[in-house]
This record gives sequence, C-alpha cells and structure tokens, in this order.
Amino acid sequence: MRSNSERRVKTLELWAARMRRNVVDICMQRGGYAGQGVALSDVGACIYFDEMRPDGKGWFHDRFVNSNGHDTIINFAAMAELGTYTMEELRTMGADGSPIDQSPIEGARGFEITSGSLGTGVSQAAGIALGERKKGSDKRIICLLSDGELHEGSVWEAFMFAAHYKLSNLVVIIDNNDLGATGKTSDVMAVEPVKAKMEAFGFRARQINGNRIPEVLDAFDEARAVKDKPYAMIADTRIFAGISVYREAIPFAHFVGKDGRWDTGYLDWESGWREILETIERLEAELAALD
Amino acid sequence: MLLAREDREKVPSAFDDISFDLCKRRDDVIMMSADLSQYVDLYKVTKDLPEQYVDVGMAEQNLVGVAAGLAKAGFVPVATTFGSYASRRCFDQMLICMGTSRNTGIVMGFTPGIASPAPIHHQGTEDLGMTRAIPHATVIDAMDVTDLAQALDVACDTPGLVYMRGHRGTTPRMLDPGKFKFELGKTYRLRTGSGVGIISCGHASQWAVEASDLLMDRDFDHSLLHVPTIKPANEREIADYCFAHDQIVTVENHQISTGLGGLVCEIVGKVGRGPRITRVGVPDTWAPGGSITHIRKHFGLDAGALATRVEEVMR
Repeated sequence: MRSNSERRVKTLELWAARMRRNVVDICMQRGGYAGQGVALSDVGACIYFDEMRPDGKGWFHDRFVNSNGHDTIINFAAMAELGTYTMEELRTMGADGSPIDQSPIEGARGFEITSGSLGTGVSQAAGIALGERKKGSDKRIICLLSDGELHEGSVWEAFMFAAHYKLSNLVVIIDNNDLGATGKTSDVMAVEPVKAKMEAFGFRARQINGNRIPEVLDAFDEARAVKDKPYAMIADTRIFAGISVYREAIPFAHFVGKDGRWDTGYLDWESGWREILETIERLEAELAALD
Repeated sequence: MLLAREDREKVPSAFDDISFDLCKRRDDVIMMSADLSQYVDLYKVTKDLPEQYVDVGMAEQNLVGVAAGLAKAGFVPVATTFGSYASRRCFDQMLICMGTSRNTGIVMGFTPGIASPAPIHHQGTEDLGMTRAIPHATVIDAMDVTDLAQALDVACDTPGLVYMRGHRGTTPRMLDPGKFKFELGKTYRLRTGSGVGIISCGHASQWAVEASDLLMDRDFDHSLLHVPTIKPANEREIADYCFAHDQIVTVENHQISTGLGGLVCEIVGKVGRGPRITRVGVPDTWAPGGSITHIRKHFGLDAGALATRVEEVMR
C-alpha cells in the first residue's frame, strides 16, 4: 500500500487541473466532449501520472485501453503534458483534414485500440490481459469504459470471460456519469446497481467518487492486492466536475459546441478557462508551500 | 497440380491435424473457439496443447475481441466458429478490432454456405461479400486439405484481419501437395482449355472439379480456375483468364451476389467488352436444410446438373 501523502494527492490534483485546462483549450476551438473530459481528469491523472509504471523508454510498462471513444480526450489531455502530442496539434481536433480524431484509430500515438465502436474495448483489454499473463509479464491492463457502454451486451460477455480466466491483471474503470448520448442513463436504460452486477459477474468491485483522487488511489491499491479475480472500479463522476461555472451552466451535456451550447444549456467557455487557470495557480502555490 | 481421380483421398477430421501441426510448429499461435471446438474438429490442440487453446463460451463478439487483444499482446489468434456466426454475429469486431489493426488476427468460418445442414441460421452465404468489403482485409476460401493447410500458414504471417473459410469433417485432398504452393492472391489453373472458363473457390472448387470430370468424359472444351484468395484479388490474372474464354461460369458456395461471381463481374466490367458471365451458386433465396448432397441437388449444384449448366451456356 502506497501512502496517500498530501504531496502525492496535491501533485495529482495539479496534473488533473492541467488536463482540464487542455480539455477546455481543445474544446474551445470547435466544440467537443468537454464535459466527459473535465469530469474524468481526476481518474485520468491517477492513471497516467501515478498508477501506470514507466517502461524506462519514454512510455509505460502497463497498458491503458480506452474503450469509449468520447472519453479519449483525457488521453490527449494527459499526453499533451507528456509531450506525446503538442497542444498545437490537438487544437485541430474536429477540423477537416486534422490528424487528431475525436475517437482515435489504432496506431494513433498512445492508443492501444480503435475506440468509438462502443462495447468493443473490454474484450480486447481482456485478451491483452490474458496474453500478457501467458507471456509471464507483470503488466497491468487498465480499461476505461462508460456506463452507457454497459448497455452493450458484448461488455458482459467480456466481464464473464475476465472472471472465468481470473484476470487479476485487469482493472476495468466504469465512468458512472449517468449520461448517455441523449439523456441520463438512468432514464434511457438503467444500469444500476453496477457494483452488485460486477460482483455477480465475478469481479472484486468498489464504487468510488471518481472526482476524489484519494478514493481513486485507494481503489488502485486494492486492485493490485487482488490476486484471483479482475477488479472493477465504479467511478461516479459528474459532467464538468472540477470546473464549477461549467457544471452550474450545463449539468448534462454529451457534446458542447464551439458556441458553448448543448440542448440542455449554454456555457461561457471563457469563464471556465479563467477558473481552471486560477485553480492551477492555487495548486502550484499550495504544492510549493509543502516544500 | 490437380491429383488424378484415383489419387484423390478423403481425410477425416482434417482440421484437427492441420491445427495441431501448426500449433506444434508455432507456439505464438492460439486456437480459439466459442464453445464449438468439436464442431470444427479441434480436438488435439485442446487436449495436448491447452496453453495454445482459449474457449470463450458461446460469445462470438467476445471471441473476436479477445482474439484481437491476444494479437495486441504478441500472439497470433485463430478464432474459429461457424461462418454464419463469424460474419453476422461479430462483423463489427472483425472490422474494428482486427480490421483496423496491423496485428495478424485470423477468423475462420466453418461449415460455410450450404456446407451446414441447418437452414438459414447456420448457413452463412454472405460472409465472403461482407468481409471483402473491409478495406485491407484478406479473404481466403480454400478448396481442400492441401490449400487450407498452406493458406493458414500464410495467414499467420499476414498483417491485419484474415477471414478464412474452414472445412470440417472428412475433407478431400484434390491438390497435389508436392506441386501446389499457396500464395496470397495467386489463381490456379486446374484444367486448361478454351470455350467455357469455370472460375470457382472453396467447396465449390470441389464441385467444379467433379463437373469438370464429367465434361472431360464428354470431350466438352472448358478450363478451370481456382481462386482461393478473394481479397486481395489478383485482378490481372482473373481478367486475363476471362478474356481468353468465350463464356465464363462462376461457381461458389455463396450467394451469387457480392461473392466470387460479383468480384469477377467487377473486374471484367472495369475492362469492358468482356465475355458473358453466368453466376452459379446460392440464388437470392433461403437455402433448405439437409445434407450438402440434398442442398446441392436443390440448387442444381450437383456434378451432373452443374456440368449440364456449363454446357448450356454455349448453346
């Protein structure tokens, strides 16, 4: 068990804030999946800047499979900090002719699979986990999927498989944001109780507040200690969590346009931009004060 | 390269030996099944090489997804199921998880077309058309034990999605293993002649050979072209063959649209002013169930009816 020191948590909060800034920066250009990206920045920071071990060759020893294409904006936001992509490149997302896809295709820098066809990522993550185990590797596989993807039958096939083969090197993170493409998941097709369902399918499962970094870290600690089954982290997140002015403006948004609009409301990009820059400044000062 | 009639043999459970031999030679190959191992002749690998066998239960989407994951971990997965399921149940996984990847991912569809006795639900007569529509995919329909084994070897070193039709049960050996060498995209002239050119693939190449035996006895001028690689198609060889004949008959264990017949029409149509092409196979209707002998007879695909249909195109 690693300690959840104040420095460790604060450092990750700062990474998460920078990822939020990058998400907003990208989405201000032509619109995008801003709500998901902002909400998932805490989980994303923990994956990229804490849980995955470096391979000593400029990348990671562990493997991160993002099943849900819409959420890959957090991969981009993190990889901008790692230098895998420049913000200049990422600002072209959504433009005709841009090499940056909103749901990237396998082979794009830093992406393990072609994302975006919902429900196809977990099987591949499970296959990678089985393959790595067969090779005798200690790599850990992290798979992020959305609660909406739980509507796809194929993910349950994959869960059954992962438990049957006791893939303890696999962690699935379910972004439980109660949001589908057209409304609340709970209205469109209810998925709860997710934790009980995952346990019934043979996983060790924990439901956490996905916007509280210590809870994410504790869940990863627990996942590493489980040796006989796969692990499910059900991360309750809420759209735009971490940027209060956006969160108040649009509580539910699948996609926010360049004009700041979705059919449930309107946000002022600039107000959130200022808020996130202030947050970064505050966190940098707080971190410096710990020295 | 075609064995003489008296030298052709029937090999029981041929794929059992083919898969076992492959896995013994290559420890990176993993045979996979969706709870149908015995129905595609997978016995020895499951028993004697369990580390190279993965069963996912009756879940074809997961079969192909897990296979794609194993490929991303450095293995060569061979995901086996029936052709009907491979094509219709998990087409998205084939296209997305394997088709967009550079890693080798092999999906094998057994009892394809009317080689399945169970009507409609187990008869995949669309698989070649569906898979050849996937950019960069490789699509193979082998005719016998010889080219099935060789094609699978080649598939294991071919990047991206490879969709192959399989043969289960007693499978004929018609091609001489000493003379036949499978190469991706190559077409094979099994009988030479002019007049009617017969183009076939897969099980239908067996049928074409049977019909050709009858036509030879009757001194009917024709030739035979076996096209095991549906994609990437060798357009030059197929066009050259077609333009060397007065009439072309395509024979396939597949619906006559979108498969081999469709492919040949596309190629000849591109050049223009080509020979007439008669497409023979499963017409645009449901096939009945029953033995393959029965279903072939139903559609006029038995050796006698097929020979007559070839003769008739010259009238």
